Amino acid sequence: MAQQINFGSTPAEREEAFISLYKKVFPSAAKYVSKMGGSFDDAKDVFQDALVIFYERTAKAAITLQTNEKAYLLGIVKNLWAAKFRENTLYTPLDMQDDMMEEEESQPSQNKLMHLLETAGQKCMEILKAFYYDNLPANTIAALFGYSGIHSATVQKYKCMEKVRETIKEKSLAYEDFVE
Amino acid sequence: MRTSLNEIKLIDDHLFNTGTTEDELLFDAMLILNPALQSQVMWQKKSHFIVQQYSRKKLRAEIKAAHQKLFNENRYKTFRNRIMHFFDSV
Repeated sequence: MAQQINFGSTPAEREEAFISLYKKVFPSAAKYVSKMGGSFDDAKDVFQDALVIFYERTAKAAITLQTNEKAYLLGIVKNLWAAKFRENTLYTPLDMQDDMMEEEESQPSQNKLMHLLETAGQKCMEILKAFYYDNLPANTIAALFGYSGIHSATVQKYKCMEKVRETIKEKSLAYEDFVE
Repeated sequence: MRTSLNEIKLIDDHLFNTGTTEDELLFDAMLILNPALQSQVMWQKKSHFIVQQYSRKKLRAEIKAAHQKLFNENRYKTFRNRIMHFFDSV
């Protein structure tokens, strides 16, 4: 049974999709984590990480599932839970891993940069997110951000990348620890 | 598109392997002829990393908001009780 996954293109549509996936899959995921001796917070952390992974895989490859989405997502949950024991370490949720990676790579300059880009360049970051992370079609992005067509939206993407790249370059040379 | 934007597109094609074989060969030649391009590739890679971190943070916030709704709003009480039942004895 092949299934095409669609998370929509707006925050409201994504929220609807996440609530639907929660209702469909979280009961089985929570039951599994509970059976394995985990707490509600463990179940929440592992499920939210699984949703991030599921979203990223779907966005990147526009995958068509050969199995149903419940089995696929539950499979990710079980793998994440098993990884906890394989590594013989406490489960570290993805957002904490991100923090750890940031610490290893470039703290505190990356946080400063992120804050700057979130505040001064938020529209550009949202456009780049739509293109590179959400992998939305250019015509959808043009409509979402109010551009006249695919060409204008694409030109804006490259202008934003140029702006972000120059900001990172300029600030990183100031915050030396970001440059490896 | 102006030249600097075309360069960004070329670097993207190089990073994501979306150009043709000819484009890739041309890009390799440009890297040899223009050492500054090498550093632009590095900054663009860093930019993509930052965009990914930003996007993941935003996505995680959306997932957390969905969780908050399900575990706080009255209309999802049955769902909530069903979940909490698994952790009653823990």
